[in-house]
Amino acid sequence: MRRSAFRRSLTLFWWLMVAFLYLPLGVIVLYSFNAANSAAYFAGFSLRWYERLLGNDQLLTALGNTLVLGVASSVIALVIGTLIGYGMYRHRRRKLGWLIALIYLPIVMPDIVFGISEMAFFITLDREFGVLGPSLATMIIAHVTFQIPFVALIVYSRFVGLDPTLFEAAKDLYASPFQRARHFLLPTLKPSLVAAFFLAFTLSVDDFVISFFTAGPENATLPIYIWGAIRRGVSPEINAIATLMILSVAIAAVISLLFNKESRRN
Amino acid sequence: MADSPYPLAPYSHSLSPDTRHLLWSVAPGVVWIVIFLVLPSLYLISVAFMTNGPYGQPQMPLSLASFRQLAGFGFLGWSPGNLYTLLRSLWQTLVATGLVVLIAYPIAYHISTCRRQWRAIMLLAVVVPSWTNQVIRAFGWMNLLSPGTPISQVAQFFGFIGPNMGLYPSNFAVTLGLMYNFLPFMVLPLYAAFEKLDTGLVEAARDLYASPLRAFWHAVFPQTLPGLLAGTVLVSIPAFGMYVIPELLGGGRAMMLGNLVASQFSGGSNWPLGAAGALIMLLATLGGLYAMRKVGKRLGGGEEVVI
Repeated sequence: MRRSAFRRSLTLFWWLMVAFLYLPLGVIVLYSFNAANSAAYFAGFSLRWYERLLGNDQLLTALGNTLVLGVASSVIALVIGTLIGYGMYRHRRRKLGWLIALIYLPIVMPDIVFGISEMAFFITLDREFGVLGPSLATMIIAHVTFQIPFVALIVYSRFVGLDPTLFEAAKDLYASPFQRARHFLLPTLKPSLVAAFFLAFTLSVDDFVISFFTAGPENATLPIYIWGAIRRGVSPEINAIATLMILSVAIAAVISLLFNKESRRN
Repeated sequence: MADSPYPLAPYSHSLSPDTRHLLWSVAPGVVWIVIFLVLPSLYLISVAFMTNGPYGQPQMPLSLASFRQLAGFGFLGWSPGNLYTLLRSLWQTLVATGLVVLIAYPIAYHISTCRRQWRAIMLLAVVVPSWTNQVIRAFGWMNLLSPGTPISQVAQFFGFIGPNMGLYPSNFAVTLGLMYNFLPFMVLPLYAAFEKLDTGLVEAARDLYASPLRAFWHAVFPQTLPGLLAGTVLVSIPAFGMYVIPELLGGGRAMMLGNLVASQFSGGSNWPLGAAGALIMLLATLGGLYAMRKVGKRLGGGEEVVI
């Protein structure tokens, strides 16, 4: 009897936590359809904030910047990170503590220290030598820096899961390094490379702090644009943009759920 | 070396082909991280020991002036503002981490006892909100806590805040935002620990008439400790350096170290002072990681705390 009371209170606690997690997002979605310009009451259903988004050039530019930054940085990080992951695996019997420490550095460093040190570095380079002033290029550089470790670790863990004799087999059959890469490494790595690319892209799109401190004045990404709009004064338009971003996350969640089910079935 | 095809080739004496292979494969990434992260960090650390110039730019000579300023000694004598900011960062981190642990323990346990096909969905439900951008999540709380909203009116009714006030900006809103942000990072490692939990030990404790509390303390807690440690690292370190949440939900009197640092590089412009704050944050991060590693190793859970 007491046992079931315990279970029931746990279930209740679970639903309270779900409410806590989804309330802030739900409020954004709800007020994005608010006919009135208010966060305190709901005056009726309207799509006027979404209509305003369509004519917002700054917003479209920010969307473009986000995509260019995300794709460019992910491609570079994919190449560099895959090479590191491969090197780490092939030489895993050596002492690679220095390499692992270096790879973990971008992950453990607090965002704000990461962003500020890059900003100070780029500004100083620009002042002293006239190179690498804050621009889309500096943002890409900063993003690649925090994406490399994730790509490297994904690729490395894929290699660790492989049968090591496969490497010997490829070598025994006199495959040249290029042939080994073309016919053995890349095909086996393909799923992890796709996963690594999407993770890198997601990290880039989701990043605010590091982008914010390395961006030039004309390189606002979506999160930077939203940040600016919030600082200028809360407008319901932000609710509409944010709702679209929440929607894309929800779609990603459904896809990952389906993917999960599929992979379990196999 | 006798069988090397190029006996006189440069470096062939000092580097084996194996080493050269390693260096070629990791070189691009190592060079990238060294140039674009290690060098900038070292530069920032050196800025912390320089003097503040007339336009907020760092200058020679080297000095410890920025650290004295961080401790509150300014042109107008001593003021506790910066020290308060430091202490507030520590306090907020401590409170948020503690509250997150209290919420995450029952949640992680609950998920681990549900039917297998539900667990993946429940974990996803915990994680999905953290996939949205942190600026948007903080904005959601601004919507919820601003003046006139139901939550603010309830708080007014109980007299927590004055009339026509909102629950944000405030220290309370920052704590709430931090909890909201980091809850998944505690639930996931704790869940992993609960999934491996040896329930036989718990039943044995109950059979021997241990109270639920004692059973938890002696049978459950030690087994989930590695998860708790991993979660504490994942929550407290980024919470200490948080910038977005105090900036949006906090206002001037709820500033944390991250905001102090950032403001020294924009408007206020005192790079050495900002760099000194960043250095403290870096040391706190490394110190925290080191301490957790030590504790984790001593408890034999070193494998789980991979960081």
